[in-house]
Amino acid sequence: MAKEVAGLIKLQIKGGAANPSPPVGPALGAKGVNIMEFCKQFNARTQDKAGKVLPVVITVYSDKSFDFVIKTPPAAVQLLEAAKIKSGSAEPNRVKVAQVTWDQVKAIAEDKLPDMNCFTVESGMKMVAGTARSMGITVKGDFPSN
Amino acid sequence: MEYLELDIKLNPVSPWDDIIVSQLAELGFESFTNDKTGVKAYGPTADVNMEEVMAQSILGNVPEGLTLSFTQEVIAEQNWNATWEADFEPVFVEDKLTILAPFHDASIAKGMKVEIQPQMSFGTGHHQTTWLMSKALFAEDLQGKRVLDVGSGTGVLAIVAKKLGAGFTMGTDIEEGAVENAIENQGRNDINDITFLLGDIDVVKEDNFDLLLANINKNVLKAHMPTYAALLKSGGKLKLSGFFESDVDELVTIAAQNGFTKEGVLLKEGWAVIQLIKN
Repeated sequence: MAKEVAGLIKLQIKGGAANPSPPVGPALGAKGVNIMEFCKQFNARTQDKAGKVLPVVITVYSDKSFDFVIKTPPAAVQLLEAAKIKSGSAEPNRVKVAQVTWDQVKAIAEDKLPDMNCFTVESGMKMVAGTARSMGITVKGDFPSN
Repeated sequence: MEYLELDIKLNPVSPWDDIIVSQLAELGFESFTNDKTGVKAYGPTADVNMEEVMAQSILGNVPEGLTLSFTQEVIAEQNWNATWEADFEPVFVEDKLTILAPFHDASIAKGMKVEIQPQMSFGTGHHQTTWLMSKALFAEDLQGKRVLDVGSGTGVLAIVAKKLGAGFTMGTDIEEGAVENAIENQGRNDINDITFLLGDIDVVKEDNFDLLLANINKNVLKAHMPTYAALLKSGGKLKLSGFFESDVDELVTIAAQNGFTKEGVLLKEGWAVIQLIKN
């Protein structure tokens, strides 16, 4: 028989850096989950993505057991990585800090499509490009047409 | 450890929620939660400099078209794991060892009895890695041996080693709460001569160890490997855990580069212990 779900917890945690402090501690602790067990597992599973922000969806069951799914980093974090910069522009309207290509935008859109509020890669690309512009990252060239 | 919570309201939320996360992740914040009104960001108070945050994020440079407000709150340290810790099951490592809390009926114990109250530290035996490491200790002759437990958590492995006859025994942990807890736990088990130190591996000034235990994670173990080699005597044993079966080959390769020979691997539900001997 499937276990009864007691709750879903959505967090974003840096790879390898889960610890029992807030928000992990209060969110899991309140449900009677062994927080240390979650941290050990999350950190072991994210050793190769240490330091990168990773969305995680934790399912807690009524017997206080849990499982979780780790997603890829948010689009903005992936854009910084693609542009090889540490942070976006403090004044994105005036100061452009980096460039990415439409191929890079497409790769991020394809990766994040399941988490985005859109149905096609093209609309995903437009959203990612919008995020890039808001960060002061320019997308090189024109939107690719098929 | 004290944590700072920033409760940030955004309008519109997207894409600014993603952007603020990407910025704050570089400014001392470790974890985030999202909701329909914005983002909450959490980082150790000691790692966050709000002046820097204001200068280098949209918190201090609100872009056109975005309405942003935020509040900050310091969250004092507390035992978030208290609910689980008040009511956990005892752990039996085959018939060799029973790890109990003070609230358990001690008469149910089989084999060696070790009492642990974790106080948000790792090491109650519930985790496969602690269970395997404990089991591995029973296969060793520890009489009078010098033992070091790196990342000692509750102190459980050092305590088991001591009860198996180890001589000079030392534990280290980077969490202050864990060191305090390990000292409490040795007292619960009528032991007073294990030295627990706060800090990373470099706080260990002793060497010539016969046995070194490290249940941490892959990246830390890889980084520590040369130091483990330096701290152990020739023929000394190293037991590593805190990783998956799929990580074993990578760690064995690095261990070999640092002068270790693989003795064996123990597995439980995907988690692994590697047993090595220093050449």
